[in-house]
Amino acid sequence: MRYLRRLGAVTLLFALSLPAQTLQQAETLWKARRFKEANEVFKALEKGDPKNPDYKVRWGRMMLDHAQPDDAQDLFNEALELKKDHVGALMGLALLASENFDSRAGDLAKKALEIDPKLAEAQELLARIALEDNDNTKATEEAKKALEIDANSQQAKAILATIDWLADKKETPWQVTTGKGFETVGHFFVMNRRYEEGIQYFRKAIQLDPQLFSAHAKLGINLMRLGQNEEAYKELELCFNNEFQDKATRNSLKLMDSYKNFETFTTPTTVLKLHKKEAELLRPYFQSEMDRAMATYEKKYRLKLEKPVQVEVYPDHEDFAVRTLGMPGLGALGVTFGYSVAMDSPSGRKPGTFHWASTLWHEMSHVYTLTATGHRVPRWFTEGMAVHEETAISPDWGDRLSPDVLAAIKDKKLLPIVELDRGFIHPTVPTQVIVSYFQAGRICDYIDEKFGWDTLLNMLHDFGQGGETADVVRKNLKMEPADFDKQFLAYVEADTKNSVDHVDEWKKRLKTVYEFTKTKDWGAVIKEGTAIRDMYPDYVEEHSVYEMLADAYLAQGNKPAAIEELLRYEKIGGRDPESLKLLSKSLEEAGRTKEAADALTRLNFIYPMDPAAHRSLGGLLLTQGNAKGAIREFAAVLARNPQDPAQAHYDLARAYHADKQAAQAQEELLAALEAAPGFRPAQKLLLELSTTEGTKK
Amino acid sequence: MKTLALLLAAACSAPAATYYLTVAGLGGEADYTQRFKMWAEDIDGSLKKAGSDNVVATLVAPPIDQIRSRMATIASQAKPADSLVVILIGHGSYDGREYKFNITGPDITATDLAALMDRVPAQRQLVVNMTSCSGGSIESLRKANRIVISATKAGSEKNATNFARYFAEALRDPAADTDKNEAVSALEAFRFAQAKTTEFFDTQKRLATEHSVIEDTGKGMGEKAATAENGQGKLASAFTVVRLGANAAAARDPNKRPLLDKKEQLEQAIEKVKFDKAAMPAAEYKRQLTQLLLELAKTQEALDKP
Repeated sequence: MRYLRRLGAVTLLFALSLPAQTLQQAETLWKARRFKEANEVFKALEKGDPKNPDYKVRWGRMMLDHAQPDDAQDLFNEALELKKDHVGALMGLALLASENFDSRAGDLAKKALEIDPKLAEAQELLARIALEDNDNTKATEEAKKALEIDANSQQAKAILATIDWLADKKETPWQVTTGKGFETVGHFFVMNRRYEEGIQYFRKAIQLDPQLFSAHAKLGINLMRLGQNEEAYKELELCFNNEFQDKATRNSLKLMDSYKNFETFTTPTTVLKLHKKEAELLRPYFQSEMDRAMATYEKKYRLKLEKPVQVEVYPDHEDFAVRTLGMPGLGALGVTFGYSVAMDSPSGRKPGTFHWASTLWHEMSHVYTLTATGHRVPRWFTEGMAVHEETAISPDWGDRLSPDVLAAIKDKKLLPIVELDRGFIHPTVPTQVIVSYFQAGRICDYIDEKFGWDTLLNMLHDFGQGGETADVVRKNLKMEPADFDKQFLAYVEADTKNSVDHVDEWKKRLKTVYEFTKTKDWGAVIKEGTAIRDMYPDYVEEHSVYEMLADAYLAQGNKPAAIEELLRYEKIGGRDPESLKLLSKSLEEAGRTKEAADALTRLNFIYPMDPAAHRSLGGLLLTQGNAKGAIREFAAVLARNPQDPAQAHYDLARAYHADKQAAQAQEELLAALEAAPGFRPAQKLLLELSTTEGTKK
Repeated sequence: MKTLALLLAAACSAPAATYYLTVAGLGGEADYTQRFKMWAEDIDGSLKKAGSDNVVATLVAPPIDQIRSRMATIASQAKPADSLVVILIGHGSYDGREYKFNITGPDITATDLAALMDRVPAQRQLVVNMTSCSGGSIESLRKANRIVISATKAGSEKNATNFARYFAEALRDPAADTDKNEAVSALEAFRFAQAKTTEFFDTQKRLATEHSVIEDTGKGMGEKAATAENGQGKLASAFTVVRLGANAAAARDPNKRPLLDKKEQLEQAIEKVKFDKAAMPAAEYKRQLTQLLLELAKTQEALDKP
């Protein structure tokens, strides 16, 4: 919208043809949602008095209102250049930061309040931030302060009413009467993952103010999240046609337009949406893990889901990112909206950087914890349970201890349990989100180990009854939250002591080992690598000690030692496809075919896009007499549109033949020979099949 | 299968030699120097392993005189029925007019190289230029009966390339032999290396900085894909770069001539049925194809008997 400022002669003529411009005219047009005209007036005002920060701030606020945050930010900053402590500009920047869950929002609002203690809007924002952190006490306190400044503050009332409604109180003394007020209520219900109720509040907002396009957009996006695409599209299109075109609206419409490229596979309990270009390949692997996760969770959570779970898999990370817009602390790999899970495809990330099966199990766990609590579980607990589940299914699946986590433990930066939500929603440093995931996961591990699984289930139940973290901890763990923090910290510190104590030394010496690999001083790599490997055993990322040691051993011809290092790497959670393939190949050459197949089976959970790995695994499984597994793997090769189709069809024919599926074997064999009639192994199998067929006749 | 038929015909009429010259250019820095040498040695090994009819030479970071000298030797030995393969690995440059291959001393231009190749009597020629900017050499190198493969589509693609790594792989990986005739043609090697290069950029989530092309009509600027529509690939599909198996030996045994003739007829019949596929009912196509494939398999079995 602000681009209009830079338009040429035509626009200028239009502006000049208007009578003398006033700020009041601009405000009136803005309030009437005649944004283009209001924009022209603002532009003329700025041209007439370019040093007036008030014009810029009001113009910026209109931009903010009209989903043009970049232009708004420019204008607020320009105003601050003209007047260092312009309260309106500070407030505008605070609101912008708040939209992005930026922790600076609170500081900016406080600064604005220092300059103007009667600025109700700043006080309202502080209440909002506190409620986003699930700090009801503080949110109530801040909202009441706002009401002291302005007894009619709709935002303050909306926040106070939200606290009551989130606690399932039907009656509240706080009267919400405006569309904007209900939009705020809807925002908090969505933040608490109570999407259905959030949607109802957005509907109320629109009922009161049909032109409130920000509410229309939120309604559309949340309908989309729950898979109600038809109505979602209508709402978003309405916004778009009315020039409310924020990133979320534009990208969501674009994403929904791309749904035609997806295929949907349904079973009585699941809906799986995969992009057409990879559906054939991924379907067996995803379906199998969805079914396995649901069977496991049904038992663990003692809960049978009432409707199918939908999983959407996006090969384009940008498409997936659209699904998470407006959600704090999310968007990395997967996201769950009630019964609907959206996640990156393994093809959407660099090979080895993403364990898709772990992400799927993580997200599916949310479906159960959200359902079990009617979406009343605090973020830290649902994330903690999900992280706990990643390693519960397989110790090597979850994320390893990262240097950021070690630094947080060393620097005593872990948050108290009652404040842990803040680490997800308003992180003070970018790494705090990752650290909070780790902390939440380890808290659940700790409770499971010390108090048992039933305690975790009881906590889940109590959260479902609306319990707050402090009360739930007191009731189930029989101690004060602060005491729990002490015990938990002692547990984590003991568990990570070795790595925390040595990580700095390890970092320095790792560089030396790497330098040795570059000069191919393999003896030195082995000596120094072996010395530092166990100082920080969780490190399995690029240039891990395990991989450098394996390279060194291989260079020296010591294959058994290389295998042992790579097995360590695999066991601890190493994910690099090339290293796992090297392990499999080395094991196969050493005659350890079962372990060779296991390494590639594990790779399927990380990066199932590599046809060569599928072919190797198919061959290994066929050798071991697992014809059905071989069929799955060779079919995966074909699904990748292989460079060598004749070989791929022939391999699949062999597997079908081994599985005594003669008709399918014949089909695949013909396909192989159709591509390459002179393919001798296929010719031999054809002769064999025809002889068998002839004998039968 | 047309490829095989042509190969058989050529092999039966007059055994011919193939002259190979692989040149690894200057790396400029240790990593590239090592990489270029490694790829050149990889290719050298595959070619030497492939058969006694091959005359294989590999030069690492040579000066221009050494290239001229080697090409002059080939020119003096090769006969019109022979084939010539020139493979370039390394860095190239293109100033908008002339392509240069970066070697020790003065660089060699595409025009110089074309002139050297023109002096070789071998009528079937292949030049695989896998350097950066190699697309800039197509115009100078192209000629009737000469296949030009370049790692980049234009002289403006200046980043160091990965195509050579996968071309080297194509010469030893049976997967490159998509028609399973135990020989890798220039077209098969090109397609294999191209697919692998594309996959490399895709999986690394990197913007592709090289787009390989092929030109074998003698008048084009190179095409990403060889198709009937653009007329590219006819020569390349019949040009064997490396043999992976022992099919040539059988082809030279006069006692097996009748079986070879039968095999060739069956292959042609299969091609015809495949060509008519769209015009016949699926069941009938399958029946005819199965019958012919069975017959071909039996013929091959007889051919394989000592």
